Amino acid sequence: MRKLTFCFCSILLAACSSIDCPVNNTVTTRYCFYNTDGDSLVLMDTLTISTVRQDGTDSIILNRNVGKASFSLPVSYSHPEDILVFNVYNKTMSVFDTVWVKKDDIPHFESVDCNASFFHRLTDVRHTKHFIDSIVIKNPSVDYDKNTTHFYIYPKVSD
Amino acid sequence: MLLTVPAAQAQMKFFKMQKDSIPLFRGFSVSFDLVGAGQMALSDYGQYEGALRINLHDEWFPIVEAGLGKASHDDEVTGMCYSTSALYFKIGVDKNLLKFKHGPNRLYGGLRYAFTSYKVDISCPEFPDPVWQWPTGYGMNDVACNYHWLEAVIGVDAKVFGPLHLGWSVRYKRRIAHSDGEIGKTWYVPGFGIYGDTRLGGTFNVIIDI
Repeated sequence: MRKLTFCFCSILLAACSSIDCPVNNTVTTRYCFYNTDGDSLVLMDTLTISTVRQDGTDSIILNRNVGKASFSLPVSYSHPEDILVFNVYNKTMSVFDTVWVKKDDIPHFESVDCNASFFHRLTDVRHTKHFIDSIVIKNPSVDYDKNTTHFYIYPKVSD
Repeated sequence: MLLTVPAAQAQMKFFKMQKDSIPLFRGFSVSFDLVGAGQMALSDYGQYEGALRINLHDEWFPIVEAGLGKASHDDEVTGMCYSTSALYFKIGVDKNLLKFKHGPNRLYGGLRYAFTSYKVDISCPEFPDPVWQWPTGYGMNDVACNYHWLEAVIGVDAKVFGPLHLGWSVRYKRRIAHSDGEIGKTWYVPGFGIYGDTRLGGTFNVIIDI
């Protein structure tokens, strides 16, 4: 009977629950550069991206990105459209492009222990055409998966 | 072939009832779980659960369990509010594993199929978006979900006096199918417990023979 009681207590202790928030709990969009041949492109110029916040001020969300073929950006939780200002520059030039990303926001619940999060469905993207030739939505579904590429960017200058 | 014949015979012996003068139908018993009620009293989720058990020759015990599972949680850290209240049902059978079946005490081993269909209300208070500072929040009401699971049960039942018995059981739960609506996941599932990681559970029953 003693052994049985010990087993019962052990099982009850083992049944205690834990906090089950996912380790990767950030929701970001991933952008990749491609040239006109469809090959991955490493951008040798410096790229800084800022966005316009609710109070009208700018906030840098990607700072001095150099020598990368891809980058990730945060997404606003529940605003229907994000405005992103791309600044591509080197020692001799500086070019600005504005990108507007439209999306539907989907509330996502994981557990009461986890902070509120939103998944998104990308619906439209438009942009000015100083440095960027075109942007294509490759995968409209934005969630915790940080390896999914959501946008293909085709720059005008590909070297 | 030589090995399979004794195995098959052992299986037949397990399912076969002992031949004696005791009648097949030995009555009903009803029970009430104190663990779930205690959970309900001490925390912000729990369940009231009762059961009706048929005694067949003190060996086999078909059982129906039904309960009301409730949760109302307002998290102090994350601010998330979660509430649900729904009925759940379990159906299964126990076998008395003791060699002497007709004694006052029993050791059960059994299986259950369980099901609940429930609706949840989830909300989070408004907070500023960490980058853009737009006010953000959400609230969803009556999100329809369902959950099916199996339980393997080991339990004991001891006669106290007259028709009154006390017993406990340990249960290993395994989800077999579920639908969480369109909200991602749910948290407390009526009758199952906290979503996902609650594989083990237990009951402490007050049982009355009728």
